[in-house]
Amino acid sequence: MTPVGQTDTIRVTGRQWGFFILVAGLAMLPLIEALTDGNGFINNSTLFSMTQMLMLVTLASNWNFISGLTGYVDFGHTAFFGLGAYSTGILMTKSGWPFYPTLAVGALVAALAAVLIGRVTMHLKGPYFSIAMLGTFAALREIVRVVRPLTGGGPGFSLPPYLNRPLFYYLALAQAVLVVALYRWLKGTEFGSMMLGIREDESGAEMRGINTTLIKITAFTLAAASTGLVGGMWAYQNTFIDPDIVFLDSRTIEMALAAVIGGLGTIAGPVLGAGLLYWMRDLVWASFLQWHLFIEGVILIAVMLVMPKGIMGLFGNRSGLTVRGVRAAWRKR
Amino acid sequence: MKGQDSGPDIGDREALLEGRGLAKWFGGLAALNQVDVEVYRGELVGIVGPNGSGKTTLFNCLTGMESVSAGRVFFKGIDVTHRKPHQVAHMGLSRTFQSIRVYRKLSVLENMLLSRQWGGERLADWLRSSDRGTAERARDILEFLTLDGQWGEPAGSLSWGQQRLLEIGMVLMSDPELVLLDEATSGVSPGLVEVITERILTLNHLEGKTILLIEHNIDVVEDLCDRVVVLDYGEKLAEGTVDSVFSNPAVIEAYFGRHDAEF
Repeated sequence: MTPVGQTDTIRVTGRQWGFFILVAGLAMLPLIEALTDGNGFINNSTLFSMTQMLMLVTLASNWNFISGLTGYVDFGHTAFFGLGAYSTGILMTKSGWPFYPTLAVGALVAALAAVLIGRVTMHLKGPYFSIAMLGTFAALREIVRVVRPLTGGGPGFSLPPYLNRPLFYYLALAQAVLVVALYRWLKGTEFGSMMLGIREDESGAEMRGINTTLIKITAFTLAAASTGLVGGMWAYQNTFIDPDIVFLDSRTIEMALAAVIGGLGTIAGPVLGAGLLYWMRDLVWASFLQWHLFIEGVILIAVMLVMPKGIMGLFGNRSGLTVRGVRAAWRKR
Repeated sequence: MKGQDSGPDIGDREALLEGRGLAKWFGGLAALNQVDVEVYRGELVGIVGPNGSGKTTLFNCLTGMESVSAGRVFFKGIDVTHRKPHQVAHMGLSRTFQSIRVYRKLSVLENMLLSRQWGGERLADWLRSSDRGTAERARDILEFLTLDGQWGEPAGSLSWGQQRLLEIGMVLMSDPELVLLDEATSGVSPGLVEVITERILTLNHLEGKTILLIEHNIDVVEDLCDRVVVLDYGEKLAEGTVDSVFSNPAVIEAYFGRHDAEF
């Protein structure tokens, strides 16, 4: 009854060529900028804004991995960003470490925290988990404020300045590409299928042989580690950190916004959403500076009302199971 | 325990599933009280009893979904009392639910594929991508259950009876040794009841699946079961062949003596 089937190979379709062209275009951008700006990159705000956008692509993808694909809506995801930012900040400033190893430590600290926090909060379901994570985030910000000898407390501290915008741009681009590719691949594996089962009916999934606790905490940890890494990068680029700018209330909202506008539970959604959000922001800020929060809010409500599945909803249902070989199994009849 | 009939001769065989002295208290209320139940390989056993007699609670305790207050559960001779549901499922025990539990928003096929026999807990198993063999197996089972025409539809849009069939299909995907069916025919149209009972018989007789089922429909119980266990107020009232159980005065009283009782 179970013939051993072959896995269909992935075909390179138009959509994937689009992905490569997009990545190639983004990789060339600093060169184009260099041609148009005689002073090099340093005063170029477009490159800076693009770097932020790419970081948001990664953050929104991480947020979507746990909230959209696994179904645990995380309102406190910025906690892991903060752990990464402070790991890099403290190690570089107080211990004199070079930048790159601190990124690894930041990711590790965020991952460890996710395992510990997840083991407690992921027993909660739905809004209870979301609120528990919001509480965790707020608590962590206050802890950072209080542990002054280590974190510099409320006033924060400065990192060694390093104004190399193309470097941060390429780092953010590399991470975004790797993370999106990783999540895209994972979605098609057994791991991805099990995440979907947890999202759709956790106790049913458990009954059907899925170790739900292990899978959801692994997903949470992976997303947190990646977010910790962005935090470290952001801290070095920003050259200054304090509890309020690192543990910014609106940072999680921004991740959620990008994921929801693009399409929750899809891989391309957070990418499109982050891009759209930044493009919109440039447009709105340029013309209606005082109104930008209001206008963004209106657009969000409109998206939720008119197309709750986001932009990706226009291309059919893409938040379901990715299985290769299904069509072939049916066509063989 | 009142009025216990001896069941069919089962000799000294080891039970595939055994609950010994099972009890479950919710606060001061005993949903299960000192229940012993055994299912032997190849058997088709029914659990009957009025509403609220503890049938589903018994299923939950046997599958690890609820922790027992007292007693032990053995599956294949191994003590699984404190194992998690996914561990018991891995050992070859699979169940359906009284209040149908399909992944409503996902397609019929997705439901089937998410009910496969999962690999172990090694990283390499997790990172395997779904293969065509699994999809073909899903197709074969859906054909057996007359659901192959609806493979692309959301499970929530199927009729009640078709959802019950789909749940049976999901159970079969993992190729279990023991199948627990919780009211597989309740709320199902007569035509589909026939399909469902016929498929259950086929599974037991031809595929050799051991089946334990909860059933309200006495006709279905008579058609299917080798042996019946009667529960009432969380206690085992009687056990034995269908004929011996339904001629037992205590059982007749439990069913017919109370007008609120429902079949």
